[in-house]
Amino acid sequence: MFKKVLIVNRGEIAVRIIKACQELGIKTVAIYSDVDKNTPHVLLADETIPLGDPTPIESYLNIPKIIEIAEEAGAEAIHPGYGFLAENPDFAETCSKRGITFIGPKAEVIGLMGDKIAAKKTMEKAGVPVIPGYHGNKQDVDSLVKEGEEIGFPLLVKAAAGGGGKGMRIVDNIDSLAEAIESAKRESKSSFGDDTVFLEKYLDKPRHIEFQILADHHGNTIHLFERECSIQRRHQKIIEETPSPVMNPKLREKMGEAAIRAAEAVGYTNAGTIEFMVDGKLNFYFMEMNTRLQVEHPITEMTTGVDLVKWQLKIASGQKLTLKQKDLIQRGHAIECRIYAEDPSNGFLPSVGTLKKVEEPSGPNIRVDSGISPNLKITPYYDPLLSKLVVLAENREEAIQKMIWALSHYIVLGVTTNISFLKKVLAHEEFKRGNITTHFIDTYFKEYLQMKHGLPLDAIIALAVYDAMHLRKQEVVRYKEADPHSPWRYVGRWRVGGEIDVH
Amino acid sequence: MFINYEHENSVYQVGIEKRNNKFFITYDNTEYQAEAEEIKPGYLKIKIGDKLIKAVVTEGEKEKYVFIDGEIFRVKPIPLTGRRMSTKREEGDLRSPISGRVTKVSIEEGNKVKKDDILVVIEAMKMEYLIRAPYNGVVKKIYVKEEDQIEIGEQTVEIAKED
Repeated sequence: MFKKVLIVNRGEIAVRIIKACQELGIKTVAIYSDVDKNTPHVLLADETIPLGDPTPIESYLNIPKIIEIAEEAGAEAIHPGYGFLAENPDFAETCSKRGITFIGPKAEVIGLMGDKIAAKKTMEKAGVPVIPGYHGNKQDVDSLVKEGEEIGFPLLVKAAAGGGGKGMRIVDNIDSLAEAIESAKRESKSSFGDDTVFLEKYLDKPRHIEFQILADHHGNTIHLFERECSIQRRHQKIIEETPSPVMNPKLREKMGEAAIRAAEAVGYTNAGTIEFMVDGKLNFYFMEMNTRLQVEHPITEMTTGVDLVKWQLKIASGQKLTLKQKDLIQRGHAIECRIYAEDPSNGFLPSVGTLKKVEEPSGPNIRVDSGISPNLKITPYYDPLLSKLVVLAENREEAIQKMIWALSHYIVLGVTTNISFLKKVLAHEEFKRGNITTHFIDTYFKEYLQMKHGLPLDAIIALAVYDAMHLRKQEVVRYKEADPHSPWRYVGRWRVGGEIDVH
Repeated sequence: MFINYEHENSVYQVGIEKRNNKFFITYDNTEYQAEAEEIKPGYLKIKIGDKLIKAVVTEGEKEKYVFIDGEIFRVKPIPLTGRRMSTKREEGDLRSPISGRVTKVSIEEGNKVKKDDILVVIEAMKMEYLIRAPYNGVVKKIYVKEEDQIEIGEQTVEIAKED
């Protein structure tokens, strides 16, 4: 086993990795940028080295600086966490050239899986189902229509350079295909200056379900079941759970086998995740492979009892995987909520500020992977993930109840968070029934997110009492002095400015 | 004393007095009598009759946060400045919905305006807020000029109603 590991990350995931290392008796080295000086990962690590300038490219993405730090500190291995350099093949390559173990798969595998089209082709060859589609060079309308006919309907026409729904068309039948291709091409040309389009089978009621993989350097590969990650906003997961409410033993076996086949096809080592799309008829398709630890790994740990981060360290140091597929079981139901410093009613825009009070919920089978503490400044430099709240219960219904309880007892004051919004999602009837797709938030919460919810009476009373206890005299004006025409009976709520136009 | 709190573009005005260790809170035509203690900084236990309110209040730089029943609300207390802050409630309220900068005043005192005419434009957070005439009338008084910084709830214009 390693004696010293450098953690190239920050926030909750750096804390998680440091704890795993310390449990295994490994010394840890943390790095931090100027704005992260007093963050929990820095306080927890055995050694800390400053990076200076908080801009990501100058700090947590600065490969030469990080390699230099690893060598100077005498770290034999680097754990990249997720994000930042975790899926950067150049970084993995540089590590191995300099004799430092990169805790993850080989650089070539990261590179191959990072190329989405090459990854799909590799998987297709390995017999893993991929979403039927056409990503070729024949771009004239007649050829595309022929390809589209072969794929079948409904069909998605998608601009190669696309984004934000531009140059995207859903086509239900052959008659409207040519027209849709032409208009998608026009739109793509004017928006992106490129009119290349792809064709893909359009999935009805799509779910995002992924499988956790562990593979050692001795030819052993296992999967640790699925994670249901369909609840997303802006294409980013916010609630994950396992088992998936849609899963059955037969499908699990098929998808698990496909996941192992996918990993073995590329000679995968260490922890990784195969992401699948699953449609309303429970057909599943390979989407991509994440060659790193996932944000939502704790729900797998809760239901299997396996410590994934420790296994990453053991595998990277050459140990054999002693877990056997047949011995692994899923026990109970786990849910994770990502606590973000963001404002759901303002387009989920990140919110910054200083955390004044932080109090985490605790109780049986409640886990908080946190990267925050009181008085910490939330800056705009990095991802606004504050912490992950994870619960385990005997079944899905109780897990939802426990999560709602835990969210209701999570005090984070000083920045706007998504805690209240997460509760509303969990309490939604369709969520409770397990009827979730990747369109869930857009389908059920579009109006909610634009609604104003008002300040309840109890909150007004609490604020007034607090202020009566704390306000200094000069900060308030007694009502008589302020406006003699303002009798008490006018006191209440008023909406300012009549109608408001925002444009 | 009374205090104004801004939350999601609404202003909540509440009266509070402390007498004989009791708090008298007036809100929306009702007076509530409360006993309250601060258990530790910001943690309040408030008793109103049989009802117990548990809340955590904390202060940011400009705003206050209150945690209550598992929900968090962010409010901005608005200081009262007698002069321009009218607290009268009347039809066609033309107070600024937001704190920002006045970028345009499209009328002059004495001008006739029609319902929905744009009177004042306020810019905040890269968005423009338009103050429109609530009814046909004559501009009686203008309280702001271009480039003014304006606070939420501040009066912008007074319009005398005409049919």
